[in-house]
Amino acid sequence: MENRPLEYDYTVAKMFMFTTIVLGIVGMSIGVFIAFELAFPGLNTIFGKTIAEYTAFGRLRPLHTDSVAFGFTLSGIWATWYYVGQRVLKVSMAESKFLMFIGKLHFWLYIIGVAAVVVSLFMGITTSKEYAEFEWPIDIAIVVVWVLWGVSVFGLIGIRREKSLYISIWYYIATFLGVGMLYLFNNMEVPTILATSPIGETDIGAWYHSVSMYAGTNDALVQWWYGHNAVAFVFTVPIVAMIYYFLPKESGQAIYSYKLSLLSFWGLMFVYLWAGGHHLLYSTVPDWVQTMGSIFSVILILPSWGSAINMLLTMKGEWQQVAASPLIKFMILASTFYMFSTLEGPIQAIKSVNAIAHFTNWIVGHVHDGTLGWVGFMIIAALYHMAPRVFKRELYSKGLMAAQFWIQTLGIVLYFTSMWIAGITQGMMWRAHDEFGNLAYSFMDTVNVLHPYYALRGVGGILYLTGFLMFAYNIYKTMSARPVEESELQNASPMGA
Amino acid sequence: MNKLYLWGIIIAAAMLGATYATLGYLKNGLNGDIINILAIAGAAALVIITIFVVIKYVRQMQVDQASGELADESWDNIGEYKNPLPFGWAIMFLGTMVWGIWYWTIGYPVNAFSQIGQYNKEVKTLNSAFEKKYANIKGDELVNMGESVYLVECVACHGLNADGNNEKDAADLNQRISEKSVKYVINHGSNNLKSAYPGGMPAGMASGADVDKLAKYVAGGLKGEKPAAWATCAGCHGDNGKGQPFVAPDIAGWNQKFIVNILDNGKKGAIGKMPVMDRLNPKQKEAVAAYVMSLSEGE
Amino acid sequence: MFHWLEKHPFFFAVGVFVVIAYAGLIEIVPNFAQASRPVIGTKPYTTLQLAGRDVYIKNSCNSCHSQLIRPFKAETDRYGHYSLSGEYAYDRPFLWGSERTGPDLHRVGNYRTTQWHENHMMDPAKIVEGSIMPAYPWLFKNKVDLDTAYAEQLTDWEFFGVPYNKPVPTKDGGTITVKMGKSVAESHALALAEAKKVVANMHNQDVKDAVARGEIPEIVALIAYLNSLK
Ligand code: HEC
Ligand code: HEC
Ligand code: HEC
Ligand code: HEM
Ligand code: HEM
Ligand SMILES: [Ca+2]
Ligand SMILES: [Ca+2]
Ligand SMILES: [Cu+2]
Repeated sequence: MENRPLEYDYTVAKMFMFTTIVLGIVGMSIGVFIAFELAFPGLNTIFGKTIAEYTAFGRLRPLHTDSVAFGFTLSGIWATWYYVGQRVLKVSMAESKFLMFIGKLHFWLYIIGVAAVVVSLFMGITTSKEYAEFEWPIDIAIVVVWVLWGVSVFGLIGIRREKSLYISIWYYIATFLGVGMLYLFNNMEVPTILATSPIGETDIGAWYHSVSMYAGTNDALVQWWYGHNAVAFVFTVPIVAMIYYFLPKESGQAIYSYKLSLLSFWGLMFVYLWAGGHHLLYSTVPDWVQTMGSIFSVILILPSWGSAINMLLTMKGEWQQVAASPLIKFMILASTFYMFSTLEGPIQAIKSVNAIAHFTNWIVGHVHDGTLGWVGFMIIAALYHMAPRVFKRELYSKGLMAAQFWIQTLGIVLYFTSMWIAGITQGMMWRAHDEFGNLAYSFMDTVNVLHPYYALRGVGGILYLTGFLMFAYNIYKTMSARPVEESELQNASPMGA
Repeated sequence: MNKLYLWGIIIAAAMLGATYATLGYLKNGLNGDIINILAIAGAAALVIITIFVVIKYVRQMQVDQASGELADESWDNIGEYKNPLPFGWAIMFLGTMVWGIWYWTIGYPVNAFSQIGQYNKEVKTLNSAFEKKYANIKGDELVNMGESVYLVECVACHGLNADGNNEKDAADLNQRISEKSVKYVINHGSNNLKSAYPGGMPAGMASGADVDKLAKYVAGGLKGEKPAAWATCAGCHGDNGKGQPFVAPDIAGWNQKFIVNILDNGKKGAIGKMPVMDRLNPKQKEAVAAYVMSLSEGE
Repeated sequence: MFHWLEKHPFFFAVGVFVVIAYAGLIEIVPNFAQASRPVIGTKPYTTLQLAGRDVYIKNSCNSCHSQLIRPFKAETDRYGHYSLSGEYAYDRPFLWGSERTGPDLHRVGNYRTTQWHENHMMDPAKIVEGSIMPAYPWLFKNKVDLDTAYAEQLTDWEFFGVPYNKPVPTKDGGTITVKMGKSVAESHALALAEAKKVVANMHNQDVKDAVARGEIPEIVALIAYLNSLK
């Protein structure tokens, strides 16, 4: 059998590719809409006063963050897992009926979870914790979905032919363990149906409501230990898994340095978890926890940059590829934005800088440097690489892809420059005092100043979304409008003009 | 020079220029505030370092060649070189770790830094700096200071024109008092300013048509013909309405003490409730009172 | 060693887990008990206030408003005394937020009033020129979910020992007892009595009528909560 390439089975990968695209469109459209709500508050009621409750900024914001993080990004992670996993472990899903079944169950339960999340967030059923808004019944569903994915990961590893684990697999394993641990602890809550009134009444109020196990400062600590590392294990670690596979694979280059991979991985694992304190600077958590958060954030630059540098050096001498292939451009710019946001984060984690940056749009800018530039671009690149191979068709249009690349890049630039300036201005205005020692600006002064930046950010969002729709169209045309290819290509995606 | 560097410089300059331009918004620029300066320095470092480090690697893509010994393994045809760690990276990693350990054990061990201590120091420094500055301000300057307090603290209720229009449900500060409020005080009495006027004003000091007449007279600034019922009021407020210490406030016009009293005690009256604004310091209260008084001066 | 781990996935996973797991313990555990202790003057929320807090959460006000005053002069001038850990002892979940699209609200009860909130929530831009906060007219119609708030209160009391029906110390040296109903009916009665005090300072006739009928619109509970933030 060594003579013939394995027939990998991409059924589940395709399913998750589909949700990556659909939930990406949904999440980013909501992002654009809420961006404009801040610039033009009239939009809060544009769909009529009767449903204003469901279209107001506050209701929609968690829908944006959750649909891009747990819709778009998680789907992207899983789509690539069900593709990359088989290939670097050298086993096909088709070889195990059990794993095939688990994979599909994983997908369908996930879809049910997504539906429940959408409905509950629209209804305003939320626990308020960022990136962990869901009430306990959904938490349980999420844990089940997660365990199913774990079965799939370790199941596939269990029957692998490639003895030693490829770097991407390290990162997928870490994603599974990291999110699992964090999610469980942050969602410890007591359902209110367990409560009994002094005269013995039970079943009081909404059955799905719960009370957090932690109060106040403790709750904040647990939440940001989670929140920071949700960023780590959803927006960083699995995306690194992707780039370690797709960049060398697409370019045909070998990874620059195993040692660098190794140190970056273990360094990242060790350092990341300690940095959560940087979300709580100057809060009521103890000073030493804050200090620790700052120190580890600065150290974190290096293991983060390690992976990015490894990727850039993998392309040593290959500039002609970067110039010629929009797909590789996506990945090179992704690592650049990864470097940018992993330097920006530590700088914002310095106490004195955070005194300005915290609570402002500079943080929102930082978030989207990472999510649009790094997460978004990397997932888009991964799906572009996968599409010709899973659909066995040449990619529909390289020209469209190149145009998409430039439109989205411009979108990101508008997003982060506007939020950068907005945030720094806001932060300084809040602190400013006049020559008499009074506050120099009312809160409304800062709101008024932000208007043009909010509008500019919205325009950036429209560009990014437009690019994403071009991507969706390109993939759609690839699967439907092209003749099936005979054999699978090893490197470099086939691309029509 | 390579085109890349030129681009790098242009982008960095554009970002920094934009950042610098935003400082133009700020009344006092960086305000000599170390936190502002550090934030700007951090932002500058961020752009410059990222751009030039990335350019360094892009240059390697352009001119260098992949080399090294390949590992035996390959995964889905992806190979792996056994190249050593990039020197600069390794040194920096080690450096930050050493720095971290130093910071944590020698620099600022567990209880060496207190944010509340830092706060107390900040407040003390700023307060003493400003106390000196405004110790002797009076007249127009005091009114200016008052306006700046007003714009931050009071606009939310009384509005930019200080007319506290109907939608806002707060007092119109361009006039001493409205007929509606006078009537309300007569009918309900008032005891908001306990510390200044312990007895308060009892309800029902006048009734019937007298109330309307009194309201008109008082709201009109005690001008024109005195209604007969004014005599009752004059007992406490004085015939000219200027009030008496500990007995009753001046209702003929604004006076600073009265306004400061309201800031300290709040006020519940015909229009609604004004919250206690005692977090202002004495000079700020004096200033905002001067500003309120200046509003109706022209008339 | 690492090469060996890469060939033994189980031990690899254990290794990763150990490396990532213990940071959390060191960050969270040492201060846990200390941070759970209320400062003097902190009271548990009443049923109505809790219901209002749930309205706040339901509408994600925390996505624009923080409730954490940091120890900087600029913040204490604007919002009042910096926040203390013990003040949050009864906050489940915490609501510090991470954005300040709107102002901090941790002590908004000190400098805004029932009437102001009523006007503002109905149409912020009318009260504050240029405000970008959404209007919340539906809060004046939707009835608040008191039962769930009561269940929440019972949970606080049963599982977390929150001192209801027990004297807690106040800042002036005295004590105050926050009542919790013994039954659903009694909790409703207590909430209604509190709601009546709130609507006494409100204009909206529909809201006043509703409370007179014994129904509590969400806005009343929300205002009770906002007023409690001091
Ligand atoms: C027993 C003394 C007394 C008498 C008599 C009295 N007042 Fe007063 N008045 C006061 C006091 C004390 C206050 C301050 C109330 C407070 O602390 O809120 C006051 C306040 C007022 C105010 C409100 C000032 C403001 O801006 O809120 C008005 C108007 C007023 N009195 C008008 C009258 C009129 C008209 C009469 C006659 C019908 C009258 N007063 C009789 C003692 C008196
Ligand atoms: C939350 C709303 C609110 C804020 C903030 C507020 N006020 Fe008021 N203020 C009111 C209301 C309501 C009244 C009317 C009370 C009444 O007479 O019914 C009032 C009344 C007053 C009066 C008395 C007017 C009179 O004729 O009796 C003065 C003076 C005043 N405010 C000054 C200020 C100043 C100065 C500030 C800021 C430092 C301020 N207020 C902040 C709501 C507010
Ligand atoms: C889109 C962001 C946004 C949302 C969502 C939002 N607010 Fe606001 N809020 C603002 C802004 C901006 C201001 C400042 C301008 C103003 O006073 O209207 C503000 C002001 C306030 C103030 C006045 C505080 C002060 O110090 O003047 C209160 C109280 C308030 N909001 C409560 C709420 C509540 C309760 C909710 C949820 C039901 C909410 N807000 C939702 C943006 C928002
Ligand atoms: C079309 C592109 C997008 C636009 C216009 C957009 C817009 C927004 C807006 C307006 C906010 C709220 C900011 C605030 O409260 O002030 C936000 C928050 C957020 N978005 Fe996006 N977004 C986009 C894409 C994405 C993507 C692709 C991701 C993730 C992969 C993402 C992740 C987030 C996160 C995590 C937050 C929360 C940030 C925080 O709390 O600090 N966004 N976005
Ligand atoms: C070295 C790595 C990083 C460090 C040290 C870091 C640090 C920080 C800091 C200090 C904040 C602001 C906290 C505050 O003041 O509110 C923050 C927020 C955030 N960062 Fe990073 N960051 C890093 C990398 C990334 C990356 C790669 C992403 C990917 C998308 C990311 C996503 C976010 C998000 C979503 C938030 C907002 C959290 C919230 O809701 O408040 N970060 N980060
Ligand atoms: Ca939960
Ligand atoms: Ca946030
Ligand atoms: Cu973080």
